[in-house]
Amino acid sequence: MEFIIEGFRKAVGLILSGNPEIFSIARLSLTVSLLATLIAVAAGVPLGAWIAVKRFPLKKLLIALVNTGMGLPPVVAGLVVMLFLARSGPLGFLNWLYTPKGMIMAQVVIALPIITALTISAMQSVDRRFYRQVLALGATEWQAILVCLRELRLTMVAAVIAGFGRLVAEVGAVMIVGGNIRHQTRMLTTATVMETQMGNFDMAIAIGLVLLALGFVVNLALTLIQQNKVITR
Amino acid sequence: MIRLRGLKLSYDTGFSLEVDSLDVRRGEIFAVIGPNGAGKTTLLDAIWGHHSAWCPRPRAGSLSIMGRDAFGGGDRLELRRAMSVVFSQPYLTAGTVADNVALPLRLRGRREPAAVEAALALFRVGHLRGRDARTLSQGESHRTALARAFVTGPRLLLLDEPFGNLDERVREDISRDLRRVVKETGAAAVLVTQHQEGALTLADRLAVMIGGRILQQGEPQEIFARPASREVADFVGVETVVPGRVASRRDNLCAVEAAGRTLMAVSDCAPGDKVFFCLRPEDVSVSLNSDAGGRRNNFPSKIVSVEPWGLEYRVELDCGFPLQAAVTKQLVDGLGLKPGLEVHASFKAVAAHLIKR
Repeated sequence: MEFIIEGFRKAVGLILSGNPEIFSIARLSLTVSLLATLIAVAAGVPLGAWIAVKRFPLKKLLIALVNTGMGLPPVVAGLVVMLFLARSGPLGFLNWLYTPKGMIMAQVVIALPIITALTISAMQSVDRRFYRQVLALGATEWQAILVCLRELRLTMVAAVIAGFGRLVAEVGAVMIVGGNIRHQTRMLTTATVMETQMGNFDMAIAIGLVLLALGFVVNLALTLIQQNKVITR
Repeated sequence: MIRLRGLKLSYDTGFSLEVDSLDVRRGEIFAVIGPNGAGKTTLLDAIWGHHSAWCPRPRAGSLSIMGRDAFGGGDRLELRRAMSVVFSQPYLTAGTVADNVALPLRLRGRREPAAVEAALALFRVGHLRGRDARTLSQGESHRTALARAFVTGPRLLLLDEPFGNLDERVREDISRDLRRVVKETGAAAVLVTQHQEGALTLADRLAVMIGGRILQQGEPQEIFARPASREVADFVGVETVVPGRVASRRDNLCAVEAAGRTLMAVSDCAPGDKVFFCLRPEDVSVSLNSDAGGRRNNFPSKIVSVEPWGLEYRVELDCGFPLQAAVTKQLVDGLGLKPGLEVHASFKAVAAHLIKR
């Protein structure tokens, strides 16, 4: 019991003293996960909307696959991306293995199915007759999709929150693809694992607290956007 | 404005739509009436070029809108943007009334506040421009949807059951405004509806669609007074339909043998023709004495039932065949009409209509 309280006391001390290592790790974590979320949104929202709106053979199978992808274990995503990025892999020429770029790539693989699947279900919840009305007002299909997404902004922000939350908390993929290299690819999650294994509980707790705080701040911002409808127009 | 020929379209479910010919002229309001599931919405969707799970692509036919081939394939966006479609629900988006009315302009990359104001004024919702669209009453929502439909100055307007579930007074109000605006702007309009009174108020010409076919088209009065078939007669409220045979004819006056009676009707049917003898309930008079007041058809009858029917009553009579009569409340009270009472039913030969069968 003693060591837990002691760990917490030291952890707060580390954070308050502005430990530069903790904050550079936090900055990297935030950058990687935010960029990966952004890329996943930029690709997943149009993709999901298109899948939802269009009729094509095996549509249900595709949706089932995307839904399965929501539960893709990060270690599997990390393994696959690592194999692709390995020196002899198909994307080996990029030299992205053990770099933040590689970690972003792995996290995009994790977030893309989440954003896509949530977009599909959001778009499918739109009354087809509403969609038809927007088309009837002279919209192109993409314009109609945009009008619908604007109506769905609450749900869509929730999808972004879900995606980012998953990424910032994920450890398996960034561990495999990034390698937890100090000053280069060490993330809050991988650092927590490492410090715990080394018995540095005060450092582990401190990093864990920063991770929680980071998640809270980003989600608070997104939630404010969602609730205040800042993105209405 | 619209010239449709030989449209064929079918669903997986087996329902098929076949329209031989339909023409809508510039500046006219053309109504298509028919019961639920007649294919009216499908027809409208085919005209504006919407294909979806509920509206398959046409298999055959030609459609020319404003002189352009609409079934020619290729992008119909430009043609679509020359018209407007209004549905039974307003389907407003989040935002103010003015935002909603401006949406069709925004979709065309235009920003014209003056056009928005003009459209709001057309349907008398200018005072609502800043209101959140979700806080509108139903009537206001429909007016906003109509203003939105007119903001781009469409030359063709398609109206699919446009006032779905509005109460009657509001519907009449909006109908009048709509007719005024259509006539002022010189647009052509196609209205599909199952509200016959609404169609009568609005339409210059009318088509009756049942089971995926247009069974009759023409002037509204013509269709209501002279339905061309039994199905149309049933739909437009001809409640007495009796099968019979034309026994003789003098000038235009036919004597029809039906149910052991001789009924007189003005028609150009020939003796020997098998016909349906048709009569609208509002053309039947009920009295206690046998004075027919010059009407050629006058039969002693027995009242079978007296039912309230809107503001009036519907009296079913048995005079050898079942005969429906529309009767005012005053008359029901004044004559003490009730089931079992012996009365006289009379109607003019010119009110009757014969359909060959």
